[in-house]
Amino acid sequence: MLIVILGIPLAGALFSGLVPWRRGIGWLGTASASGVFVSGVVLAVGIVEGRPVTGLGGILRADALSAFMVIVIGVIAVLATWQGVRYLEAEIAAGRCTPRHASLYCVLVQGFLATMLLAVLAANLGVLWVAVEATTVVTTFLVGHRRTRSSLEASWKYIVICSVGIAMAFLGTVLVYLAALHVVGHGPHPLDWTSLVTQSHRLDPGVMRLAFALLVLGYGTKVGLVPMHSWLPDAHSQAPAPVSALMSGVLLTVAFYAILRFKVIADGALGAAFPRSLLVIVSLLSLAVAASLLLTQRDYKRMLAYHSVEHMGLIALGAAAGSPLAIGAVLLHVLGHGLAKGVLFLASGEILLTEGTSEIEHVPALLSRRPVLGGIFAFGLVALLGFPPFSLFVSELNMLRAEFEVGLGWAAAVSLVCMAVIFGAVMSHGRHMLLGPKGTATPAMTPAVVAVPLIGGLVGCAFIGISAWPLQSLLHAAARIVAP
Amino acid sequence: MNAGSHTVVAVIASCSQVVAVAVGGLVLIGLMRKVRAHLEGRVGAPILQPMFDVRKLFRKERLRPDQATWIFPLAPVVLVATVAVAAAITPLVTTGPALSTGSDFFALVYLLLVGSTLLALAGMDAGTAFGGMGSSRAVTIGALAEPALLVTILALSATAHSSNLPAIVRATLADPGSVATPQRLFALGALLVVIVAESGRLPVDNPATHLELTMVHEAMILEYAGPDLAFVTVGEAMRLTLLLGVFVNLVAPWGIATTTNVAAVAVGLVTLVAKVAVVGLALAVFEVFTAKLRLFRLPELLAGAFVLALLGVVSGLVVK
Amino acid sequence: MSASTYASVLGLTAAVVLLCAVVTLWRRTLRAIIRVLAVQGLALACVAMVVGLRRHDTGLIVVAVLVLAAKAIVVPMLITRVVRHDPASRETQPLVNVPASLVAAGALTILAFAVTRSVTALVPTPAGRLIPLGLAAMLVGFFALVTRRKAVSQIVGILLVDNGVALVAFLATAGVPLIVELGASLDVLLAVVVLQVLAARLRSLLGSFDLDRLTELHD
Repeated sequence: MLIVILGIPLAGALFSGLVPWRRGIGWLGTASASGVFVSGVVLAVGIVEGRPVTGLGGILRADALSAFMVIVIGVIAVLATWQGVRYLEAEIAAGRCTPRHASLYCVLVQGFLATMLLAVLAANLGVLWVAVEATTVVTTFLVGHRRTRSSLEASWKYIVICSVGIAMAFLGTVLVYLAALHVVGHGPHPLDWTSLVTQSHRLDPGVMRLAFALLVLGYGTKVGLVPMHSWLPDAHSQAPAPVSALMSGVLLTVAFYAILRFKVIADGALGAAFPRSLLVIVSLLSLAVAASLLLTQRDYKRMLAYHSVEHMGLIALGAAAGSPLAIGAVLLHVLGHGLAKGVLFLASGEILLTEGTSEIEHVPALLSRRPVLGGIFAFGLVALLGFPPFSLFVSELNMLRAEFEVGLGWAAAVSLVCMAVIFGAVMSHGRHMLLGPKGTATPAMTPAVVAVPLIGGLVGCAFIGISAWPLQSLLHAAARIVAP
Repeated sequence: MNAGSHTVVAVIASCSQVVAVAVGGLVLIGLMRKVRAHLEGRVGAPILQPMFDVRKLFRKERLRPDQATWIFPLAPVVLVATVAVAAAITPLVTTGPALSTGSDFFALVYLLLVGSTLLALAGMDAGTAFGGMGSSRAVTIGALAEPALLVTILALSATAHSSNLPAIVRATLADPGSVATPQRLFALGALLVVIVAESGRLPVDNPATHLELTMVHEAMILEYAGPDLAFVTVGEAMRLTLLLGVFVNLVAPWGIATTTNVAAVAVGLVTLVAKVAVVGLALAVFEVFTAKLRLFRLPELLAGAFVLALLGVVSGLVVK
Repeated sequence: MSASTYASVLGLTAAVVLLCAVVTLWRRTLRAIIRVLAVQGLALACVAMVVGLRRHDTGLIVVAVLVLAAKAIVVPMLITRVVRHDPASRETQPLVNVPASLVAAGALTILAFAVTRSVTALVPTPAGRLIPLGLAAMLVGFFALVTRRKAVSQIVGILLVDNGVALVAFLATAGVPLIVELGASLDVLLAVVVLQVLAARLRSLLGSFDLDRLTELHD
């Protein structure tokens, strides 16, 4: 089963690479993404009713948390690849992209999906590290796909900073391995996550403290947590819109998934205090930096990127709280943020395509000039800011509740202040973009093939917000894994 | 052997050290110049030329600048005297020279410093512009080298748990493998850089330069003539030989006399001469291939020596 | 080999790795820095080889050979090819001048020793006592990355960080499981290839490697 999930995007990559570019090739990506989503759902159903699934000789393992992440990856990948078709067609039509580059793009996107799936399905922490490093390498080329000066600068910064972060995460993994060796000895799978969790109370606290700090800093680089966040606005604003959606919606949370896995081990070895305080510090820093920098943004893609930093900070704060309610809310937030941010990035890609500029001041009155697109963008912003009925409202509320219960009330208050600042900043930027004098141009219509997936994403987000019914048991099971 | 004969042998050893350093110093300088000349494709002056030069200088007239004070004639004499005392008490030929309890590494460094300080003051005493320039440059280099030197001594003293030089040499003899530890090697590397800086060799200072603006040490002694210059030359040669001798005995102390009999002292003398000659030759060859560093790049070199010594100290903490 | 020989050889090679990292801060020409990097790769391979011979672990010896091929030969060659079009390029002005960065390297070494006390307590073998050297090499590499402007210098910084981490891995655990080590080396090689490609594109776009010229993206 797990091999099937991994195999779908790999096969898609192979196929896209071998077959020369044709108009319909882009849909292959959407097909493989849907395949991933469907198999993720099947996997989740199986796991909730039964036990975790292993595959490939113990290297792969799927429990409720992994299944949830597979579903998240699948659904956002569907949206992104659907929009990717339009992006590629427009780029080729405008002459900015050759067919060879387009098929390279398809191969890389499929490869990106495969490496992310490997990361969430890994049973061995070493394989997890290799997969995350592989995502960095693959996305560097994707970020620099447009080959303009600024996108090259962005991809350079991306790989430099993320390579350092990955090296730190490797050191953290090595230290965990060292602590495990001391306890378990040279067993067949000393880095196996389940055995580490059962042995976690015997791991040396001093080593684990250093290891967890290195891991939070290292994987936190890929999550976009301060102080290693400076690649995020550049990379997410310069990458093609579907890639930005995938990176902002999914890749950040896959890296955070890695931190969550290590947090379980650290909680067992160190007690909840040290991991909690470390995550609180990092999250509050991220919120503060995001809030202060969002006020002066002039580019709407960079604005969305900084908004991702804020949401990652919120997720980190929720994970710091650590109770089952908090973790459940965190996971729900992951899904909701992925959907909403993905829709927003895709919509902004469409805006960039039709307006030709990514500056906020130069795209006024979207609601009047392009009603459907403007409406999607407006609802997306509303969803991200945490309004009901969208799911982010529910998840943020529950996270705050959990933080107050656990005793992190002061941190929750600080985060509320930052969220208020961000609310004001985003509203004002959104107002510039969406409202304004109509002018003489007639409203343009957005093609249905573009609008449908975006509206579908938003509807899905609202649906989950109103009733988490299909995901209830999965969320419970996943939360129980991280916060027993 | 009773204590009396111990002392006699120790005194003999110390005297032989002083003579070896004094005579051998000049010969070493001549040898280094000869090797350089050969590598540069010249025949070069004879090896004993520095001795001939010193003898010639002693016969010349005693000239001093009018505005010089008592420091001017005093400095060369004090230089030679301090280096001679240092040569007497350091473990060059034997690990038990006279007054060996006072033979402390820090004391050695500051003995040599007395001579250099007086020489720097004398450079200013002459009242010329070049003298002042040379003095200020020499003092700057000394000040930059000082932290590196102190941390190096700390690193080298750590293994013997004492900064007494004979004790350090004895500890190295007892445990030859300790020379290959990172602690020792870093410290010795830093010591080599500091020795090159303190004795004014390339790449810190070119002793054979004739261009006053590139001089550091030569500019200080520009006004010296006659017997004063002879003393300065001898003192400088002795200082270089002494420092190289200390370095050599910290790296490879084998051959040094550990027992107090004259035969061992003789063997020690011979091995010292051989070892210092080897190191001196290596230094001469290195100088042929090096250019003088620009003055404002010297802080980098000496900061590098400082960090090297620091690494030596820190890696010493590794081996408990 | 005897225990004391093993300890001294291991200490020597590990110290050379750290020394190379510090020397990178000192040298100015990119050519010299690449040579130092090759020496560091060689020393790293020696560490792995020594530990593998001591424990009779053929997997580790294989890894040592791979490390030698990858870090001491292939990677410097790749970077030299990138630098060749920029002959005798010098670091124009690092953000922190050389003496100050050397002193900072000393401070970072002390920091590394302070932070890894619990780790060295856990592994009281001769190899375990040298772990702080690896962490210090990593921190020095990080410092070099942060204070350098030229693109190739930043690649060098990443490689220093990687070498430091690899040193810790070899010393602490006699190597991580073979799969992960292979995956790690492959990923590093891939990352360097990516960096080379990017550097080539940058060069063709800008005509030089000065990252100072890339200042469009900022707040």
